[in-house]
Amino acid sequence: MAVTKPTPARRARVILDTMWSSGTGRYALVVLALWALVALVSLFWTPLPLLATDGYHVWAAPSADHWLGTDGTGADVLSWLMAGSRTNLVIAGLTVIGSAALGLLLVGLMVARSTALASVSVAVVDALISIPTVLIALLLAVPFGASAAVVVGACSIAYGLNLARVARPAALLAARSQYVESARANGAGGLRVLVQHIVPNITPVLAVQLSMSAGTSVLAEAGLTYLGVGVGAGVPSWGHSLSTSVKLINVFPLTVLWPGLVVTLVVIALNLFGDALRDAGDPVANPLLREA
Amino acid sequence: MRFLVKRLLLFAAALVGVSMLVFAALRILPGDVAVVMAGTNASASRVAELRAEFGLDRPYTVQYLDWAGGLLHGDLGMSALTGRSVAAQVGRRAAITFPLIVMSLVVALAVGLPLGCAASIARSPRLRGFLRVLAIAGGAVPALWSGLLLLLLFGRGVGLIGLFPSQGFPADGWSGDPVRAFASLILPALATGFVAAAGIMRYTRSALDDIASDGGPVDMAMACGMTRTQAMLQVGLRLATPQLVSVVGLTFASMITGVMVIENLFALPGLGALLVGDVGNRDLVAVESELFLLAAFFLILGLIVDLTHRALDPRLAAGEEE
Amino acid sequence: MSVSVRGLKVDLGGVEIVHGVDLTIGDGERVGLIGASGSGKSMIAKALLGLLPQGASLCGGISMGDAAILGSASGEGNGGDSAPASYADERTLADLRGRYVGTVFQNPARALNPVMTVARQIALPLRLHYDLTASERAERVRAMLGKVGLSDDVLNKRPHELSGGQRQRVGIATALITSPRFIIADEPTTALDSITQRQIVDLLVSLVDDAGASMLFITHDFAVLSRATTRCYVLDEGRIVESGNTADLLAAPETAPARELVTAARRLTLHAGDTSRADEGGVAQS
Repeated sequence: MAVTKPTPARRARVILDTMWSSGTGRYALVVLALWALVALVSLFWTPLPLLATDGYHVWAAPSADHWLGTDGTGADVLSWLMAGSRTNLVIAGLTVIGSAALGLLLVGLMVARSTALASVSVAVVDALISIPTVLIALLLAVPFGASAAVVVGACSIAYGLNLARVARPAALLAARSQYVESARANGAGGLRVLVQHIVPNITPVLAVQLSMSAGTSVLAEAGLTYLGVGVGAGVPSWGHSLSTSVKLINVFPLTVLWPGLVVTLVVIALNLFGDALRDAGDPVANPLLREA
Repeated sequence: MRFLVKRLLLFAAALVGVSMLVFAALRILPGDVAVVMAGTNASASRVAELRAEFGLDRPYTVQYLDWAGGLLHGDLGMSALTGRSVAAQVGRRAAITFPLIVMSLVVALAVGLPLGCAASIARSPRLRGFLRVLAIAGGAVPALWSGLLLLLLFGRGVGLIGLFPSQGFPADGWSGDPVRAFASLILPALATGFVAAAGIMRYTRSALDDIASDGGPVDMAMACGMTRTQAMLQVGLRLATPQLVSVVGLTFASMITGVMVIENLFALPGLGALLVGDVGNRDLVAVESELFLLAAFFLILGLIVDLTHRALDPRLAAGEEE
Repeated sequence: MSVSVRGLKVDLGGVEIVHGVDLTIGDGERVGLIGASGSGKSMIAKALLGLLPQGASLCGGISMGDAAILGSASGEGNGGDSAPASYADERTLADLRGRYVGTVFQNPARALNPVMTVARQIALPLRLHYDLTASERAERVRAMLGKVGLSDDVLNKRPHELSGGQRQRVGIATALITSPRFIIADEPTTALDSITQRQIVDLLVSLVDDAGASMLFITHDFAVLSRATTRCYVLDEGRIVESGNTADLLAAPETAPARELVTAARRLTLHAGDTSRADEGGVAQS
């Protein structure tokens, strides 16, 4: 069957169209686009300045002035959530990059031709996988202080290990295949084999795992910030908003709803995004991609 | 047998590795530990005092060997803040955290396992879709938020229906009023358990789906005369057990962030609160031993999970004997 | 037990895989269903057992003996070509499977339950369908084991401790322990080496004939088919393209798909360097 090689742009278009055609895929795309849009807008405009506090209207209910109400210092909840979306977007993005880098490095080592190297790296991953993210974050927070970098670092390490473990079977299959052997016979180095032959074979796993790590990083940021080892005090983030709203729940419980709702909706979108991307990008499952 | 030896050696190596990492992160990276511990406004003499008290003026290798040697003998050092032994503190706090984790796990399994089975067995596309969304949505809720919502619904004094204590733990622990102590852990356990249940549900479904694939033991059991539901529950679930044990182990580890958050939210003086407090107070000697202890706990858990996984799968168990 | 399939269509997730297949198997008859991989023969086997995956929809009718197990809601499944058909309820099907219908699977290494001992595996259909004491069951299992040519010391072994041939013997014993009236053998020899293939086919044929049961034997290999069946259907892309006496069909295939399958069987036999037994058809590997 003669297939003309589709241009990357065309492929991307087909994949997006396919994702859009399923309900869950559309939900994910809409929420993620909104997220990016809000983060962008918040760079230039928020309904009220972050530091504008209104001492007479603390814990105010939603109103025309404060769409989502105010918190304990009289700051506008919506403005803080908008600004927070930026921080979380950056954390999620960096976590994806970090865990992909670490994960692929480990995958490369785990399927290395040197059996000693491979078995040592498998053993290391197996042993470290059971260390929870929060312990890594606490370990990093002592020397470096609480910051977004701690969240990114801890998430990248934890999810990178996880990615390596999940992707190993598919990677191993690719690494032992005929074409990798012939590529090696032609003098391709380890890195080249990893990038050209192994990564394309584990893209479905990568799509799901990386988009899940992005989602989990949002959850981790909320937890770690509440524990005082996440983003620093005064830095807007969803975890910050959530933690602030916790302080006086018995006085005004409704403020609690918004940050938690935002986090939940976004994490759902990120989880669905990975699944939808995997399904749309799989030429076996998606006939449109074969025709493209 | 060879596997057991290999796995134990790996465990020992990991333990040493983790202790070195913890030591490096807490004593070498921060620069002058005594300055960090003393705080920003401390006098030079206070810093020197601390340095001498904790032996921080000795070379790193001596410090490490001293600390690691202590760990081997069960000596975790003294807290700089309270002057009490770290081991005693950890023990007292673990009496809250450990039951909380176990209760959360029970909740997670009680909710996640049946729903996961249902998601795999269900024939109606609508029910399958609903269960899939439930699993994804459940796993997307931050523990802090699920805790808050539960408080607002059932917390005594705060919630719509005040069923359970919402804050704190009896001062006299389990010895005074065990029922009250147990009751004060119910909402926290539900808060972390529900979130973890979503993960268990997803894994249960995918494990069962894998096993029920074409021409496998589930088909065989059905061909012998079982209904689909019987075959899934009697054969599928048994064959999924090794994977599910691994999942429970991983759930344990992934739940701990939530548990620490929930402890803070419900004002439970557990390990999470202790660790966060000690990090905040820069009580590095205590933090060091506590972090190592927790990491060791999770390494042991990983070891147990691996060995159980192997024992439950006769193909793996036998593979080593040949 | 006689079996009849009328106008069977199988649709999997919007793709029709089987397009209206009719076949009949007389009482005590051994009938083959042959086709290249992907022709839909396994789907027919699964449809007969009610083991199709989720999301499959069917048309047509299937009956075994007096029982209608698949039919359209309106009645017996006659006439209405494209009316969706539904199965008898799950319990009825389950009562049929393992009791009146025995199944031998393609790959016993996959099908046999890895945590069950041979004794428990073979006794499973007995346990599900008959009220016997443990010792009565054990006695029958032992007798069955003798019939399939296995010794008693495999009783407490698990599938991974057996050879491929031994595993398929256990599979056959499990399928036949309840003396079913109809056997479905879905590529029972494909996973085995050539010598074991012959032994397993011969064993299956003799046991089925001794019991007077009927059999549907599914394969892609004419050499195996000629050993196992007297009459056969050739399936190509979800349609029956040819049917008749197996020996005649093997000697003079009329349609292109049948010719291809026959040539493939010859080539494989020659390729294995075993020309003397070419027409006996003992050798084939996929």
